[in-house]
Amino acid sequence: MDIFVTLLINGLAEGALIFLMASGLSIILGLMGVVNFTHGTLFLWGGYIFVWIFTFTNSFILGVLGAIIIVFALGAFFEKFFVSRVYGNVPAQILITLGLQVIFTDLVRLFWGATPITVARPSYLAGTWTIGGVTIVQYRIFLIVVGLLIALGIHKLLSKTKIGMVIRAGVQRPDMVQALGINIKLYFTLVFAAGAALAGLGGALYAPLVGSISSTAGLHNQVLAFIVVVIGGMGSFIGSAAGSLFLGLMGAAVAWYAPSLAVVANVTLMALVLAFKPDGLFGLAVKK
Amino acid sequence: MKLLKNIDKKTFIAIGVLLVVLSIVPHLAKLSTITLMSRIFILAVYAMSYDILRGYTGFINLGHALFFGSGAYIGGILFTKIDNTMGVFVLAVIITVIYCSLAAYIMGKIVLRGGGVIAAAMITLALGEIARNTAERWRSVTMGADGLPFKIPDIFRDRLGFYYYALIFLIIMTIILRQFILSPTGRVLMAIRENEQRATFLGYNTSKYKLIGLQVAGITSGLSGVMFGILNRFANTDLLSVQQTLNALLITLVGGTGTLYGAIVGSAFVNTVQNYLLDLRSVHPIFERWLLFFGAMYVVVVLFMPEGFVGLWNKYLKDRRTKKNSRVFEKGL
Repeated sequence: MDIFVTLLINGLAEGALIFLMASGLSIILGLMGVVNFTHGTLFLWGGYIFVWIFTFTNSFILGVLGAIIIVFALGAFFEKFFVSRVYGNVPAQILITLGLQVIFTDLVRLFWGATPITVARPSYLAGTWTIGGVTIVQYRIFLIVVGLLIALGIHKLLSKTKIGMVIRAGVQRPDMVQALGINIKLYFTLVFAAGAALAGLGGALYAPLVGSISSTAGLHNQVLAFIVVVIGGMGSFIGSAAGSLFLGLMGAAVAWYAPSLAVVANVTLMALVLAFKPDGLFGLAVKK
Repeated sequence: MKLLKNIDKKTFIAIGVLLVVLSIVPHLAKLSTITLMSRIFILAVYAMSYDILRGYTGFINLGHALFFGSGAYIGGILFTKIDNTMGVFVLAVIITVIYCSLAAYIMGKIVLRGGGVIAAAMITLALGEIARNTAERWRSVTMGADGLPFKIPDIFRDRLGFYYYALIFLIIMTIILRQFILSPTGRVLMAIRENEQRATFLGYNTSKYKLIGLQVAGITSGLSGVMFGILNRFANTDLLSVQQTLNALLITLVGGTGTLYGAIVGSAFVNTVQNYLLDLRSVHPIFERWLLFFGAMYVVVVLFMPEGFVGLWNKYLKDRRTKKNSRVFEKGL
């Protein structure tokens, strides 16, 4: 029983982290039809900037905020100067984001070195609770809460506000939104940067969970986020939330019961979903 | 000969001169140049295999290194576990062909279900990463992240001799792939690239043809992997990484996608630049960071030169022809 609770919490925390990456990726894909291959790199930058600020100021909150702001700016830069030039040309988008990914991942190695940097959890989140014989890591609960808040926040933003309305309309007919006199390009930049900021937040929260950050973490998490987006359905926000949860829980279970299969499990799941529902579990009818 | 039927006289002479030069050069060059050129030849084949996919079917495969790395590992593992003789080399080639066509079949079955270029790119990236991860964990066979050094058959040991084998390998593969592109199957692939919907309406089962394209590309890539492993006498998980796929992608981009020969031009250009920059590292340590230049080249090519060198050259030739024709036309008036 206690193993079950531990696995549940581990899985949910893992799922929350994956969700932070996958949701941004999914919204960008839905709105602009761009697969952002720089997402793993943005995640990495978030992690490294957090570690950098955290070791300087010893403030967890400042570190996280700094990571979000800088990665937001980085995302806006990518969109304005590179991605916006190749809208409508899918192969070029894939190629250009891949090129940026290579450059900025190597810049991380140039600035911070290729060896992993260790980082501690902040003192007020480092402890554990013991409830009925089950040890609960506080930091994981914190991750679950953050993930939930962000998911609710995005959901509210998308369904209740004017900005969300424009974004949802843009997912369906960007040209029509433009024709109504709304500056859709500004929204493109904002959404791209916001998705980047989510990835940055993910990176910042990931580093203390694992206890260290290295330059290979970006690609690894990007692959997980891609799998989630494929499983959940391209461009579907609910799909990416459900997919993240599912992948996180499955990852925790497989890591406990059959660690040697951990690598293969995700892809098998993806292949199975694609075999029965090629559009993903919550796939939108809109195809770009 | 049927093979030479659609090559005009000028091109034929040019290729002949090029071959003579290429067979004389190694006798005058340094050992490092010979190795570099062998590398260019082998990576050109690898990039050509990529061009079959991207250039002729428009399918972006981000897990293509899976075949390349597997080829290198199959060679390496067999040479270590059995013996380093010619017989084992032939065995390695046969196993690579079987393995790669199987892997391509499975990959195709997963990827080619619905979904467009985007889904395919994401799924193949995931598949490639899984293969790399598996190789890293399977330490008893692949030696994990340390890499697998191995002995090679004596016949390949001489660098100069191997240069010729690599050249012959390039020539044979170029001819085979060219024949494939010119075959009816290759024509269907091109039709799919131009307009998949129309090809479907004409009654072609497009995913079946794409699967064939993927298998041909996979086998070619695997064979170049075997050769690359022999060149380096070493295989590591980098050969399976996304970076290795991006290498092929950059080479085809620089050379020109959908041209086949572009891969050879691109391979020569990218590898020479890489070699030159690495030589500069004594000037400033920044030159050691090849990936920065690699990425920058990538972005520049995508933004400003999407046709690549061969594409630009073809365009230039076409422009000249139109100009000449219009001049003749004006004179006639």
